[in-house]
Amino acid sequence: MTRTANDGRLRMTILGGYLGSGKTTWLRHQLFKGAFGHTHILVNEAAETPVDDTLLSAQATGITMLAGGCACCTGKADLIAALRSIIDTRSREHSDNRKIDQIVLETSGLADPAAILSAIREDSVLVHHIRVAEIIVLVDASNAADQLATEHLSRLQIEAADRIIVTKADAVSPPQLATVVATAKQLNPAANIEAAVKGQPFALDDLPDAKPIDLPDLIGDSAPITPTRITIGPDVDWATFSVWLSALLFARGDDLVRVKGVIDTPAGPLLLQTVRKSVQPPELLPPEVTRNENQVVFIGRSYTSQDLQRSLEYFTHA
Amino acid sequence: MCNACGFPTRPGHWTDAGADNAGDRLRLQMSRAKILNRILAGYGFTARPPGHGPGFALASFTGRTTLLPDLEAVWAEAEKQLGHPLDPLDARFTSAPAPRA
Repeated sequence: MTRTANDGRLRMTILGGYLGSGKTTWLRHQLFKGAFGHTHILVNEAAETPVDDTLLSAQATGITMLAGGCACCTGKADLIAALRSIIDTRSREHSDNRKIDQIVLETSGLADPAAILSAIREDSVLVHHIRVAEIIVLVDASNAADQLATEHLSRLQIEAADRIIVTKADAVSPPQLATVVATAKQLNPAANIEAAVKGQPFALDDLPDAKPIDLPDLIGDSAPITPTRITIGPDVDWATFSVWLSALLFARGDDLVRVKGVIDTPAGPLLLQTVRKSVQPPELLPPEVTRNENQVVFIGRSYTSQDLQRSLEYFTHA
Repeated sequence: MCNACGFPTRPGHWTDAGADNAGDRLRLQMSRAKILNRILAGYGFTARPPGHGPGFALASFTGRTTLLPDLEAVWAEAEKQLGHPLDPLDARFTSAPAPRA
């Protein structure tokens, strides 16, 4: 079943980023500007003593603190319980008179946003009520080089993002900023990259050319991830493609960080997106807005685009 | 959701995207089963729609049949029985010419 923007589920934005990347500062400014509308904020801190809630409570419609455990692992049960209580309250309200338009989860700096996304999708109650609309990941311009070189987690965060915001953009020189942007782009070519200073947008237009940082291998990722694009031929129908992709994600989901593309179906063009093993409900796009139809981008490692193409052909023509 | 079996447990599986009525979903389920058998055949399994709702009945060559709610469950069950996952990028699918229909 196709789920569109107005399917009655509550929008949720996951805000991630490494420790000290400026999540609270950025969120505070967005709330002040009213960027998220009437928002219930969930703040997760890995430490036992919460601080961020006092900074955020002024602008939010509601706020819940989840302290003492990161929501992607030890604090997962708390997160699920908090989200269930929010949707429980919401479903008791009259549909014309609901207090909140969306939920924003500020994750702890140690969280893997993809794990949180999967936790919500796997919960049999939440999946009916919450639609994760966007994963925003902040990257600290001044510390990104060190973090990315040593912390596998900081790479996972960038890989999971729909939108990357390079924060503290004024704290480094333009060539350094360009290097950070290029590195983020290499890690996640599908995401939109923006920059901000204390939550205010910062233009990235006139950056010098820069090469991405040469990131060393860390445990768990043997090869760098690369984007490959395959063209879905007119003879590949949605049933074939979906079975093939489902098998591929099950076998190679840990290596396939992201799949993104628009596929033609009898019902219209479908926008398909995955983050590791989890597939977002595909959205039907209005026929007139689509470009690059039947092109699917695979971002990952340990396979070649030739293998993808041949394997898909095998299942199409068998 | 089917009152008898409780499937599907979540709102529409993503592979059903674009199928807005029961007829389209049934047609998609049939086409999926056909494709599914192409990958399963190489591992000694067959699958068919169970006849009463979404999902597949997965049969191994021993005759053991399991009812499964969706494709992910099929891959998981096959992996459990085989001891390793079915890999569509396995050499048998990427190097051999496609079999005749």
